[in-house]
Amino acid sequence: MNDKIRVGFMGNPNCGKTTLFNAFTGANLKVANWPGVTVEKVEGSMKFQNYEIQLVDLPGTYSLTSYTMEEVVTRQCALSDEIDVIIDVVDASSLERNLYLTLLLIELGKPVVMALNMMDIVEKRGMEIDLHRLPEMLGIPVIPVSARKNKGLDILMHAVVHHKDFKEEHPLIHHHASQTEHQHDHHREFVMVYSDWLEDKIDIIKEALEAAYPDMQKYRWHAIKLLEDDEEIKKQYPLERPSVLNENYESEIINEKYDFIEEIVGEVMVNKSKKEERTDSVDKWLIHPIWGLPVFLGIMAVVFVLTFTLGDWMGDYLATLIGWLGESIRGILVSSGAAKWIVSLVADGIIAGVGGILTFLPNIFILFLALAFLEDSGYMSRAAYVMDSLMGRLGLSGRAFIPMILGFGCTVPAIMASRMLENKSDRLKIMLVTPFISCSARLPIYLLFSQMFFGNYAMIAAYSMYVLGMVIAIAVAMVLHIADRKKAEYNLLMELPEYKAPSARTVAIYVWDKVKDYLARAGTIIFIASIIMWFLLNFGIHGYVTDITESFGSIIGKVAVPVFKPIGLGYWQIVVALIAGISAKEVVVSSCSVLYSVSGISTAAGMASLAGLLGNQGFTMLNAYCMMTFCLLYVPCIAAIGTIRRESGSNRFTAMTVGVQLAVAWFVTFLIYQIGSLI
Amino acid sequence: MKLFEGKIHKTYRVKNKDLPIKIDRRLEALGMTVGTSVDVLHKKKYGALVIKVRGTRLAVGKHISENIQVEEEESHE
Repeated sequence: MNDKIRVGFMGNPNCGKTTLFNAFTGANLKVANWPGVTVEKVEGSMKFQNYEIQLVDLPGTYSLTSYTMEEVVTRQCALSDEIDVIIDVVDASSLERNLYLTLLLIELGKPVVMALNMMDIVEKRGMEIDLHRLPEMLGIPVIPVSARKNKGLDILMHAVVHHKDFKEEHPLIHHHASQTEHQHDHHREFVMVYSDWLEDKIDIIKEALEAAYPDMQKYRWHAIKLLEDDEEIKKQYPLERPSVLNENYESEIINEKYDFIEEIVGEVMVNKSKKEERTDSVDKWLIHPIWGLPVFLGIMAVVFVLTFTLGDWMGDYLATLIGWLGESIRGILVSSGAAKWIVSLVADGIIAGVGGILTFLPNIFILFLALAFLEDSGYMSRAAYVMDSLMGRLGLSGRAFIPMILGFGCTVPAIMASRMLENKSDRLKIMLVTPFISCSARLPIYLLFSQMFFGNYAMIAAYSMYVLGMVIAIAVAMVLHIADRKKAEYNLLMELPEYKAPSARTVAIYVWDKVKDYLARAGTIIFIASIIMWFLLNFGIHGYVTDITESFGSIIGKVAVPVFKPIGLGYWQIVVALIAGISAKEVVVSSCSVLYSVSGISTAAGMASLAGLLGNQGFTMLNAYCMMTFCLLYVPCIAAIGTIRRESGSNRFTAMTVGVQLAVAWFVTFLIYQIGSLI
Repeated sequence: MKLFEGKIHKTYRVKNKDLPIKIDRRLEALGMTVGTSVDVLHKKKYGALVIKVRGTRLAVGKHISENIQVEEEESHE
């Protein structure tokens, strides 16, 4: 018979919890969000002996308060029937802090099995942990494991199976603790026992709860939470007990837990070493007040170069392959006598659109490989510390610098990188601001227009776009920060974990997860959007058109001309090119060539003839600069918009971003054109 | 004195904290309770510190560190 056991993995951030989880499940994961919140829920399953074991990886937390979403989710899951056994993953190298969560989990009253990870680091430091005394004092099984070397996994699962029905009310400590004179005799019942005055209060509330909520389970836990003034529990179980409940004893309760932890650590840690740890000597350089910044910029430069040179190089091959595939399929369709519009839909719409998504794939793969490496090694939080002063002025965490710098390469991976930011409002801010930073696809536009109109100063004109983009991005972030009514001063408070060699498995699963996600979800949105773009540019009032000038796109362009007049771009061909540019920014260049019927647009002759045609329309150097500015700032390409939609999970936010970008682009270009016209 | 004025390689003991409840609780969950000793490992000019509390390295911004009162601990070396 197959019994089911549901196991929850809980632990502090950076304790190796996910690595251990992955060691059990492999890449066979189901990732979803917890209902109603944006906290990820990762599930897997495995067979062990005769048991069907379902595993849930809960978010890494330091405690179980109701202050953050992650902690609420973890707590609710641990309390609910969703979990039979808790595996508490503990980083042995910072035992003292990790034990705090352990005590909280034990207090919850579910079977807890401790997986003691990173024992190798402890040993390297010349320390030892008394593995007999530790379970004695905690009353739970303690299994040393190595998540990275796959050691101790079977023993851990074996312990889970044995303790799943752990109904023993009396923790092991009972057999060893001296008898107490305290009236409640709690030392016989609980691992964590508070001072008498606190225990008295807990008992009073416990009795009141028993009277008021006869169906409740875990009275003691709820009583402690009420003494801590926990908002969630107060709402859930209101209690009329002002005499005891009028004060918040959270601090005292935390303090007493840490007192007990000190006692445990004092007994189980042997040879507390004083020698300098390797992490500290590495940190001397990596977070040095002067060298820290250049080191960070150097590392970012490597990530940038890898992502965009190596990635683009691979992407080019992929693009050639897709182009060849498109042409072959076009050939097959044409020879089989398919209608012209079907040929165009498949070849120009679907294959070109989906192919456009695929060509980003190498960039995304390399980027996330590099980011996973930085994250898993422990460097990422150092980067946040190093960049904290600069980004703090924008009300952003130091990590926000990374998506911004990646924006110079491509907006799509940059927006995906915003995931590593700690809080949602930071993520949204970055998604709004990053598209202003000039991505590499905009370069062909600058090259074309600056070479046509700026002669020897073409380089400077093109370069100024990069500076302008950065300035606008910072300015918008600044405005958002100033406008933020809550004025949440950004408070840096973050753990700097021990450096470690990244686990290949964790990195691989992380990267695979991102790549899969990109293909599956952003792909669908981008796919639909590319068909819409294709439709606008290939269909007109008379149905399918081969001439873009008769398409709906060009009709919209002609209607929109008055809007573009005040910014120096009141030419219908330009407007149509801009609309087409939403499919991909470099399309602006190819559209110009189609709309003005100039071939070889990137050659000197082609540029001269286009410049001549534009000149005849009254298009000057100022108009060219306005064109470049508008292209820099207006909505990013459809792939980026799709990614924003996917990452933010909100249509409203995506529409708002597009609106803000259009407004900023129009306004800035308007200023340039109007001021430029005066000079 | 304030933690923010702490010097690198010195050890301090937390006397009291005057912080918003959320931040204070987070600090306590991370092990920084009153009476805990804190080693200052690194420091930047404008006041962000890297400290070690109960074996954990924490980066702490100025807004937090200037609201933590500490006293220097006797060196045992």
